[in-house]
Amino acid sequence: MSKKTGFIRHTTVLFLLLAGGISVVLFSVKYQVQALEDERISLINEIRNEKQSIHVLNAEWSYLNDPSRLSEMSTRYLGLVPVSPKQLSGSEIIKNIPQRDNGDSQ
Amino acid sequence: MNKPTSAGPALFDQLDPERIRVESSRKLALEMGRTRLMITGVVLAMAFTALGVRLAELTAFGTPENVRLAAASPHLESVVARANIRDRNGVVIASSLPTQSLYADPRDVMDGARAAQKISEVLGATTPESILEKLDQGGRFQWIARNLTPAQVYAVNRLGLPGFGFRREEKRIYPFGPIFAHVLGYTDVDGRGISGVESAFEDRLNTRIKGQFDIPGEVSSTDLDLSLDIRMQSILREELLAAQNRFSAIGAAGVVLDAKSGEVLALVSLPDFDPNTSNGGLGVSGFNRATKGVYEMGSTFKLFATATALDTGAVGISDGYDTSEPIKAARFTISDFHGKKRWLSIPEILVYSSNIGTAKMALDVGAKRQKEYLRKFGMLESAGIEIPEVGKPLYPDRWGDISTMTISYGHGIAVSPLQLASGVAAVVNGGVMLRPTILKRGANDIKIEERVISPKTSKIMRAMMRLVVRFGTGKNADVNGYMVGGKTGTAEKQVAGKYSEDAVVSSFVGAFPMNDPRYIVFVLVDEPQGIKSTFGYATGGWVAAPVVSNVISRIGTIEGIIPQPTDAENKNSPGTPLYIETAAKKINNAASQGVRSATY
Repeated sequence: MSKKTGFIRHTTVLFLLLAGGISVVLFSVKYQVQALEDERISLINEIRNEKQSIHVLNAEWSYLNDPSRLSEMSTRYLGLVPVSPKQLSGSEIIKNIPQRDNGDSQ
Repeated sequence: MNKPTSAGPALFDQLDPERIRVESSRKLALEMGRTRLMITGVVLAMAFTALGVRLAELTAFGTPENVRLAAASPHLESVVARANIRDRNGVVIASSLPTQSLYADPRDVMDGARAAQKISEVLGATTPESILEKLDQGGRFQWIARNLTPAQVYAVNRLGLPGFGFRREEKRIYPFGPIFAHVLGYTDVDGRGISGVESAFEDRLNTRIKGQFDIPGEVSSTDLDLSLDIRMQSILREELLAAQNRFSAIGAAGVVLDAKSGEVLALVSLPDFDPNTSNGGLGVSGFNRATKGVYEMGSTFKLFATATALDTGAVGISDGYDTSEPIKAARFTISDFHGKKRWLSIPEILVYSSNIGTAKMALDVGAKRQKEYLRKFGMLESAGIEIPEVGKPLYPDRWGDISTMTISYGHGIAVSPLQLASGVAAVVNGGVMLRPTILKRGANDIKIEERVISPKTSKIMRAMMRLVVRFGTGKNADVNGYMVGGKTGTAEKQVAGKYSEDAVVSSFVGAFPMNDPRYIVFVLVDEPQGIKSTFGYATGGWVAAPVVSNVISRIGTIEGIIPQPTDAENKNSPGTPLYIETAAKKINNAASQGVRSATY
């Protein structure tokens, strides 16, 4: 009989300790989660702002890549003209270009 | 505890009967309490078990629905409600930008006249009267100005006027301005598509309506990818604009088509407009000549007539017709003005663009088969492209012999430039009709609609189209090394029911490289005026062919197509079916075309 009560007493203590321990853990986890949630929300806002900037910048990039603007700038600053078909050659021609033998094969 | 004694009954008497009763009722209460406790305990235990099971289920075995919900964070939503439109290389060609719009709640506005004065000072463009008028209309909501710049928003905020507020809106912008005007279309002030792609894909572009929860990975793919190529589009527009100005034409249209997939790579109609500033009321510049406009195309139709004649077996490649006498039928006379006045082989009929020869060929084919082939080439139905602006072709209800003859050289039938280009694609790509599309197609999305002509006929047609550019009416379209093939067309327009010699539609349809055509380039110039350097001619060979040549040389280099040495081509020796007799003599390109019979 006394053995049984002792057992019950031990379990009660154990469960009380366990409950206490768990509540401490729960408490800290809850605060961690809250902190993470705050961080997440601020990150979401940051991402949203960044995305908005990227979206606007993409449109601006397209605007800056206007073909007539590019051709005007390349003639003014780079002196480039469009490629003519004469300037293109196939791989056969490259194969036939004489190469200097630098002796690597020996 | 007392031991039972002989005085038991006496002891028993001492007991209060009341107490015994209490004892027993207490016991009853205890029993009842215990039962209740038990039930409560069981219910609680069940509740906790249920919670535990649910917890385990949620944490350990998440359902796809929950994963989706968890992933559907607000930041994954696209920035704006209307998706971007991109070209085939991923360049953004239409985008929505978040802006602020100013509205007023007229009931909260304190001094309307003063407020209107101040706001119009800040905004510049609007007059105080127009603002005041809106305020006087009452109600609880009035737009004052849409899509303000950040500086204007700041300035209005600084006024600190009660009753005015901002609402976040979107403004559709087109970074390339008029380059894609007709094909993209534009949106109204509320961001609804009015024409072109914007209108055709209205639901597809509205991302918010479709899915409330965007899943990661799907977000970036909300962009609509078109088959158009910004480079080709810009080149085509530039060259067309130059031709339009050079020949003082009233308009021009052009199409670049992928011959193997049916994708439209460039689609231009002139005059055009800037979709950034337009809000309806465009008049003639809002008209899409490339898809909505239908024209009698003239001699470019001879490609279909010749392909039909060869494919049906009505004529063979070595056959020919006598073209020395004009055909007189009813009140019509079909003639070649500067014709060869002799027997012409089938290739020569095409190369010299002989109306007489083509008409005779068509008579041998017959109206029924001609109509059937034209239907298969897509000439009798609207082009099946996605944008709403498509023109319905015009052709006679009664398709008699005269119609058969005139239709063979492109008169009495009117089609849109896009229809013609996709028909010619079927002539040269091995003989299959592909539905033209404005959307980017993968290799697996290519759907063959119908076989029109045999691969053998297609091969002969390619060879003959090359001859047209080498020796015939299309010399100005050639690009050294790119083996351009094609056909010129010049049609007199009907003015008040009569064909007019002053108002013509000059066109050229080209394909390259002719040994395995990848691109179809079609150019049409509406009412060009002859100039000195073309000896006063405004024919397809003089007006449209050089445009095609320029376009091909520019897009060929962009696509990295390697020029082939021209000496590899056949030598045009007598005795072969493809021999062109007068090619050896120097012929005047312009003078060799007929002028009298409304086509050249």
